[in-house]
Amino acid sequence: MKKILIVDDEQDIVESLKFVLEAADFTCYCAYNGEDGLRLAKEIIPDLIILDVMMPKINGYKISRLLKYDAKYKNIPILMVTARSQEEDKLIGEETGADEYITKPFELDEVVKKVEEYLK
Amino acid sequence: MIKTLLVSDNKSQTEKFQSIFNKNSYDFSIMTDEALIYDYISAETPDIIIIDEEYKNIKTLNKKIKSICENTIIIFLISDNKVDKDLIKYANAFFTNDMSEDLILSTLNINLRMKSSLDMLSNSNKDLADSLYRLNALYSTSSQFAGTLDKSKLIQYMIEGMDKALSFSLTCTLSLCTEDKPVLLINSLYELSEELITALKLRVILNYNSLFEGKTLPADITLDNLKVIKQIKYPASRFTFTLFQYDNMFAPISLGDNFFGCIEIFKETAFTAEDSTCFQTIAQQVSLPLKSATLYQELIETNHKLEKLERLKSEFISIVSHELRTPLTSIKNSLDILMSGRCGEITQAADKFLSMAMRNVQRLSGIINDLLDLSKIEAGKMDFNFAPTNINTVIGYVKSALSEVAKTKGLNLITSEAENLPDITADAQRLEQVLTNLVSNAIKFTPENKTIKISSSLVNSKDIKINEYFKDSIKLKEGDYIEVCVEDEGIGIAEKDLLHAFDKFAQIENSLSRKAGGTGLGLPIAKQLLEAHRGAIWCDSELHRGSKFYFVIPVSTNLN
Repeated sequence: MKKILIVDDEQDIVESLKFVLEAADFTCYCAYNGEDGLRLAKEIIPDLIILDVMMPKINGYKISRLLKYDAKYKNIPILMVTARSQEEDKLIGEETGADEYITKPFELDEVVKKVEEYLK
Repeated sequence: MIKTLLVSDNKSQTEKFQSIFNKNSYDFSIMTDEALIYDYISAETPDIIIIDEEYKNIKTLNKKIKSICENTIIIFLISDNKVDKDLIKYANAFFTNDMSEDLILSTLNINLRMKSSLDMLSNSNKDLADSLYRLNALYSTSSQFAGTLDKSKLIQYMIEGMDKALSFSLTCTLSLCTEDKPVLLINSLYELSEELITALKLRVILNYNSLFEGKTLPADITLDNLKVIKQIKYPASRFTFTLFQYDNMFAPISLGDNFFGCIEIFKETAFTAEDSTCFQTIAQQVSLPLKSATLYQELIETNHKLEKLERLKSEFISIVSHELRTPLTSIKNSLDILMSGRCGEITQAADKFLSMAMRNVQRLSGIINDLLDLSKIEAGKMDFNFAPTNINTVIGYVKSALSEVAKTKGLNLITSEAENLPDITADAQRLEQVLTNLVSNAIKFTPENKTIKISSSLVNSKDIKINEYFKDSIKLKEGDYIEVCVEDEGIGIAEKDLLHAFDKFAQIENSLSRKAGGTGLGLPIAKQLLEAHRGAIWCDSELHRGSKFYFVIPVSTNLN
């Protein structure tokens, strides 16, 4: 089974994503802050990462950059989840290497469809 | 008394004139020594000099006299009636040996009268030159005043102007308007001792307090809080306390209720009435630009505050949007999961309320998007991807996206596009947003079985007809425009609401439209987006008959 890492400091969102992805036969790993997210990513080497942007300490862009510029992890697709605030817009200009941007609020079915596309 | 010098060693002549001068009580001297003559004319400036033509150095003497006392009357004593040509150019008159006493006296009197007229003329000439110089100084000072809104510079120009016009020995300028605390500017020819500066400070404070006797002081000034800035022209010399015996003038620098400071000026010689006028004029003249500068400064401060408020507002909206979006996502996800039936079967009643919740989640999310858009546009942070765009392509997209929604509502959505329209420089996505908004509104406000029409055309600015409600607020440059019109047969807009159609949250006023849903931000966003394209939007409408929304975008615009 394919492994998916969900990183978001909003537990409820993690919960709902986990629910639909598990229903679609994926194994989900969850992290609720940036540090755990980065650590888990390196530990389990997931097949795909769903990554929230705005998180305290290490934000999603930092994590994405750290993974995408590392030969060992650069092939893991990253779906970036954003709430489209102005601070995020500032960050969006930076090259982070994320494969896809999903804006909150998003359609769960659409996320599942995207994940399946990347993992075909 | 009339001062006369006789240069002759001819005894009979000197005796003759001596008797005449004595009789008429002239003050006179008789001498022939050259050095002595020079000393005398330099010190005394005689009214009349009578020179014997026999005098040996007559030519040099003439030149010397002309250079030292220009207006002195020169009369030559000649023995016969022959006149030396060289003497004519220096002479005011000639005396001959045989001239009677009466004739001599008359000649002297005529010349004295002429001299006094000449003196007067020369004096008024000098006065005129002085006035001209002063006028010039005043003029250049007032042009300097007009050229700046910097208060320190204005005060500096005032002092420089005073110096040019009055050449003072020392000025003490108290300024309450250039720094946070009161400042005493001392501009002095010579250095001042600490004691003298303290005395000057005390004097300024006394003057200042006396200006506001019985009234509230604009600021309390004491020896301790009065900062001194001095500028000394010749630091090698020093002023002493005798400075206080100099002539002085004092004036406040104020306009109405605005008090900027005061100025006192000292000079070794007495000031004239003209000096006083000039002094008052400059002190008065500076107060108007000082007032303007004060207003200007206040304006800038208010502007800064407003900008800060605007920024705070934008940030606030951005943060709020972000904070709202996250919990909204959780609600939406939960609803999605419930509605998918993955948590158990849903009854018909449950489905009704789940759909209701979902509809409102979507509405809320629309409001947040609109708010964020508007705050971005207003903060000038909206990014546009300007590119050559064909309006008919945009119309095509919007039609295909919304025709299904229109059909569900029993409406007919049709388009009428002009062929071969030129491209416009535009952000296609933003134009789609504008048009989607207009068509969605039309769908919302139009009852069943009616038609909504989107049309496009090429028009010249001369032929664009904007109704009287919007005519004044829309200024279009000359040239060709692409015009798009969304026409519906809906409820229309009342005349009184037409002008406010593009105001933020205008829809909230209208209970009918509230039922139809929407944020009330769509049209103001459309307006701002079109303005960013150098275009415009307006509408024609009649209550219960329908509305026509028009927007135009210039054909040839380089927006970068």
